[in-house]
Amino acid sequence: MLFGKVILDKRGRFFSLQLRSEPLCRKDFSQELPSRERNDAEPLKLTVLTPTRTTEGLSLSALREQVLEHTEAGSRVVLDFTAIPQLSSLEAATLLRLVIEGKEKGIEVRFSGLSEDARQAFTGLEANLLNETAATSEDLSPVEEVGEQTLELVAAGQRLLELVGELAYWLAIAPWHGKGIKWDRTFEQIVKIGVEGVPIVTFLSFLIGAVLSLNGASQLRQFGAAIYIANLVGVSMTREMAPLITAIIVAGRSGSAITAELGTMVVSEEVDAMRTMALNPGRFLLLPRVLALLCAVPCLTILSNLAGIFGGYWVGVILLGLGSRNYLQQTAQSLLIGDLVTGMVKSVVFALLIGLVSCYRGFYVRGGAEGVGTNTTASVVTSIVLCILADAVFTTIFFYLE
Amino acid sequence: MTAPVDSTPYVQVENLVARYGNRTILDGVSLTARRGEITVILGASGCGKSTLLRHIVGLLTPASGRVLINGQDIHRVSEDEQEAILRKIGMSFQAGALFNSMTLEDNVALPIIEHLGADQATARTLARMKLALVGLERAASSLPSEISGGMKKRAAVARALALDPELLLFDELSAGLDPVTARELDELVLRLKAQLGVVIIIVTHELSSIQMIADQAIMLHAGKVIAAGPLAEIRAMDQPQVRAFFDRQPRPVTMQRGLLDTLLVDGR
Repeated sequence: MLFGKVILDKRGRFFSLQLRSEPLCRKDFSQELPSRERNDAEPLKLTVLTPTRTTEGLSLSALREQVLEHTEAGSRVVLDFTAIPQLSSLEAATLLRLVIEGKEKGIEVRFSGLSEDARQAFTGLEANLLNETAATSEDLSPVEEVGEQTLELVAAGQRLLELVGELAYWLAIAPWHGKGIKWDRTFEQIVKIGVEGVPIVTFLSFLIGAVLSLNGASQLRQFGAAIYIANLVGVSMTREMAPLITAIIVAGRSGSAITAELGTMVVSEEVDAMRTMALNPGRFLLLPRVLALLCAVPCLTILSNLAGIFGGYWVGVILLGLGSRNYLQQTAQSLLIGDLVTGMVKSVVFALLIGLVSCYRGFYVRGGAEGVGTNTTASVVTSIVLCILADAVFTTIFFYLE
Repeated sequence: MTAPVDSTPYVQVENLVARYGNRTILDGVSLTARRGEITVILGASGCGKSTLLRHIVGLLTPASGRVLINGQDIHRVSEDEQEAILRKIGMSFQAGALFNSMTLEDNVALPIIEHLGADQATARTLARMKLALVGLERAASSLPSEISGGMKKRAAVARALALDPELLLFDELSAGLDPVTARELDELVLRLKAQLGVVIIIVTHELSSIQMIADQAIMLHAGKVIAAGPLAEIRAMDQPQVRAFFDRQPRPVTMQRGLLDTLLVDGR
């Protein structure tokens, strides 16, 4: 690139030309500057840059650096394009950014010698583009950020309450007005959530029961109380592990599926189409899913209890050599109805939480495929967090009740 | 082929104002549609045509103004009454909005089973008849993901017809269809109008289709009605946006010559 500094006198003739490299195309710019500027009292500092096109393209980054870093504020830079007959639209856009960024630093960037072809690259130029500032991001101040988040949280709470209201209406009120529960759809969901979840719940619960048993054994054996493994496994499975494991599996398996399915339906306007057909999404989508969860999760929890206890039994009898009949008797003696009820109460609450969270996240998907993905993740995470929180609350309450 | 026009308006949109956040999409839009009449909503993309349809069918609540369907304000009636109104409305969406997990036949049969209380077999028969109306009888057992965009659109029309509605709303009915299918749909629409005296409101851009089916039209521009009335009258209007639409004049590309010149030291 060639560049030089031209200082113009009052009448617009340059009286000094400082060159840093080879001589610049010698041009008397006095004829090309508007007459208003030629009459300025202040001498105008002018830098003329002649960008060149190499095999790698226009030397735009060098040009940019030259203009923004090595030019005094208050001066004018003229980019001479006489040697460059054509510009791509990206180059044109880069040059416009240079004008805008230059303006912020008090440098006036101007072009000269644009050919008709090169001018075409600027098609679509409009006033707003030039008035834009370099920093276009709309960052909120921290206070605004907090305010925004709070409002969003309140709105989310409201929508969630609406969903609960909707659920209650379709469950308890609408059936008396001839709009019964959609049992066929509910049954379909029970199959998806419950029946298809049987293998994984059984398998994982069995493992958990076995692991509990092994862990317990290493401690209890020291006191010759290995048979109490039956108590340990039985009580911790029924009260705690079975409901929680089941809830986590269901949240991951079915909660995510519900959110993704409903979210996709929202995005592809299927939910809107349902509404226009007078098929209420609350009745046709929400209630069947929540009901199915309320039915499937406790059933899976019972299954998880059995599988877990069997896991403990298997370890106890096969690996630790406890008597089969002894183990079963010990289990039966240690378990109280209260333990089972505690677990079941928890599982019903977990089912409700998973249902509400996953449907809520599904119905409020915004922004296409990405929105479905984000909400599905959020659905699983929120469900699991809420379930474990609820579990902690319940365990504390039950602890003090007894 | 003209059906008797019932003079009482079936759809009345009065001074509808619609907002998304701070953006006003519709600004005081009014529209009247009568039985046996086809109303076409015209306008460039993004002028609020679909938003208007969504308000008419009650999917969106207006910021102000009201929508009367057969004399009832669809946004202020009870849930049961709204449902009763909606049962008489059939709507097809731009992209079809078919239930992706169900076959075309089941898509059409769903409202029949739910609202007319028909058994599965009867509903399916009726669904096949509706699909035949739009030439899709062969695709009845396909899933929406297995058919083309144009077929989805036609299936959506069949679903909109499922309950023999009194009011039909079509969003971009013939956009993206091949000329033959588009023409067939236009004729179907004319037949529905003639035989059943249905109220039909269509959003469309297709000039040939507009020419063939429209009784009256309203034209939206930047959220306002800039022309309304019988099609012939609108075609004759001098309003620049109306002219541009019917004469297919492109908007000038915003090459603001003067603006580039301000950046030149050797402007012309």
